[in-house]
Amino acid sequence: MAEKKVTLKLENVSKSFAKVENDEVTHALNAIDMELKSGEFISLVGPSGCGKSTILRLVAGLITPTTGKITVDGKEILEPSPERGMVFQKPTLFPWLTVEKNIAFSLKMQGKLKGNEEKVERMLKVIGLESFREDYPGQLSGGMAQRVALVRSLINEPDILLLDEPLGALDAFTRMNMQDEILKIWQERGQLAIMVTHDVDEAIYMGTRVIVMDANPGRVVADIKIDEEYPRDRSSAAFVEYRNEILNRLHFGGNK
Amino acid sequence: MGSNKKKGSKNGIDKSQLDKLTRQQLKELEEKEKTRGQIILDWVIMILPVVCGIVAIGEYLWVPDNSPNKNPNTYLGMLVIFIAAFLIYFIVALVKKLRGDKTVLDMLRYRAPLFSALFLLLAGYDYLTLKTGILTQPFVPCMNYIINIAWTDRAYLIECTLHTLRLLFLGYFIGVALGLVTGITCGYSEKVRYWVNPVIKFLGPIPTSTWIPIVMVVATSLFKGAVFIIALGSWFAVTVASMTGISNVDKDFFEAARTLGASSRQLVFRVAIPHAMPSILQGCTQAMSSACVAIMIAEMMGVKAGLGWYMNWAKSWAAYDKMFAALFVICFIFTIVTKALDLVKRRVLRWQNGVVK
Ligand SMILES: Nc1ncnc2c1ncn2[C@@H]1O[C@H](COP(=O)(O)OP(=O)(O)OP(=O)(O)O)[C@@H](O)[C@H]1O
Ligand SMILES: [Mg+2]
Repeated sequence: MAEKKVTLKLENVSKSFAKVENDEVTHALNAIDMELKSGEFISLVGPSGCGKSTILRLVAGLITPTTGKITVDGKEILEPSPERGMVFQKPTLFPWLTVEKNIAFSLKMQGKLKGNEEKVERMLKVIGLESFREDYPGQLSGGMAQRVALVRSLINEPDILLLDEPLGALDAFTRMNMQDEILKIWQERGQLAIMVTHDVDEAIYMGTRVIVMDANPGRVVADIKIDEEYPRDRSSAAFVEYRNEILNRLHFGGNK
Repeated sequence: MGSNKKKGSKNGIDKSQLDKLTRQQLKELEEKEKTRGQIILDWVIMILPVVCGIVAIGEYLWVPDNSPNKNPNTYLGMLVIFIAAFLIYFIVALVKKLRGDKTVLDMLRYRAPLFSALFLLLAGYDYLTLKTGILTQPFVPCMNYIINIAWTDRAYLIECTLHTLRLLFLGYFIGVALGLVTGITCGYSEKVRYWVNPVIKFLGPIPTSTWIPIVMVVATSLFKGAVFIIALGSWFAVTVASMTGISNVDKDFFEAARTLGASSRQLVFRVAIPHAMPSILQGCTQAMSSACVAIMIAEMMGVKAGLGWYMNWAKSWAAYDKMFAALFVICFIFTIVTKALDLVKRRVLRWQNGVVK
């Protein structure tokens, strides 16, 4: 609750990539405008290649926009920072570090580990993997690894949490459990969460807003506010309504 | 602790026991139960080295010699010491097993055939040399000669060994240290790679021994020259291996580390280097074998000390027993060094096979 309230603004952001094989460029994103605030849970959906990951990587500061400006509370994003935690589709846990050390990695890099050991402890507890602390990532299941990756970036208590299809590789049961876990974490701290997903149900189940994108060039085609109480009922009339609307926007309409 | 007596009978283990299963017990549970025949065979194999050792002693004592043999008891003593050492190992393993730790005995069972073969090999060698002279005597001396001469000449042998080790480690560590620096910076920085790559491409295909004559002429001291040659070979192996290792680091790891607040220095030391560790250590092992080759060539070609020189010197005096003694010392040293490197490797790369503790 003590979270800092932040506003993330993308103003006229475009991003193009040079192609490897010839002299042309790919226009991954074209003139994106967004304003996102703490307490929101943004679901980003759209066809493959529409630039969803690119948006997250821009906000993370891993790449810089071709044109336009991305700011947090008016300050331009220039480089990655632990204040913007990112969870990737692959867990990318460091295989040479134990679970515990993976979680502590970020504190250690910032020289803040001394005196903060109990944070690591708490994170282990949040994901219920206390007895796996000495294990190496190679010994974890996919869901366990992704949970570790999640708390590894959460330990910094980031103002902005970027999730790039974090549940994409998980089976349906683990996935639904993790959806609730992530929601719980987000509700406790009320940070700004942006999650890319290719699952429309997941987008509606979790998001306060669903932003629908389209490709060539990547752009926002709809920004839908989900006005439902948590936990949401996947079979309620309102839920089905939202689903149809979003599928329509994704050109999968007419299935009613 | 007595509970693991129920080994093999899977139904005999209840839930609470399963909860606090150790690694060892787990392995036993999942293993197929051994038949009576297999168990008997295991024990036979485990005492086989003693039997083979006695065979070797018998061969030495009862088969008549073909050539004169001075101080005949040295070899006998060695055989007895070997057998005694094995028996002590066996007893320790048995005691450990009775206390519930089966691993030592399993290891002994695994190694026993090799020990047996070693004794048979010794017996066979003795038969071919001392007993029959099929391998002509002064040229391929029997084991008893070799041990005797190694003992008589021990002061000089030790001196030579120390000289070899000093040269080996000096050259090796200089080479590895420089190799790590160049390899890691090259792997990481394209600018450095631009300048170092041509050097590697040019020097790489030239075998180290090519340099020896040149260095012998140019270097101010032969020792320094030899250090240079050994270091050059090690440098090359480590540079190439760590360069490949570092440049193959998955980009995703860097990105993850950056979002977690790692500085560019930390990206090198906390991500790139640990990730490249398997490759780097592979390079270190390669460097060691190239260093071993280089040092022998250097010592045989110019350096006036060390085991390689000792061998050559013994040969020129037709002291073949000394030559073989030095050969065994060399084998022994290189084995120990390689083994030590292997231990370091396994310790550092524990995460690779996911083994805990
Ligand atoms: N580093 C890069 N170099 C060149 N082109 C890139 C790069 N990253 C992304 N692109 C291109 O930008 C476009 C958008 O990519 P992005 O990864 O953001 O898509 P996405 O919406 O995340 O797709 P998916 O759902 O498949 O993950 C694609 O056409 C892709 O080829
Ligand atoms: Mg993507």
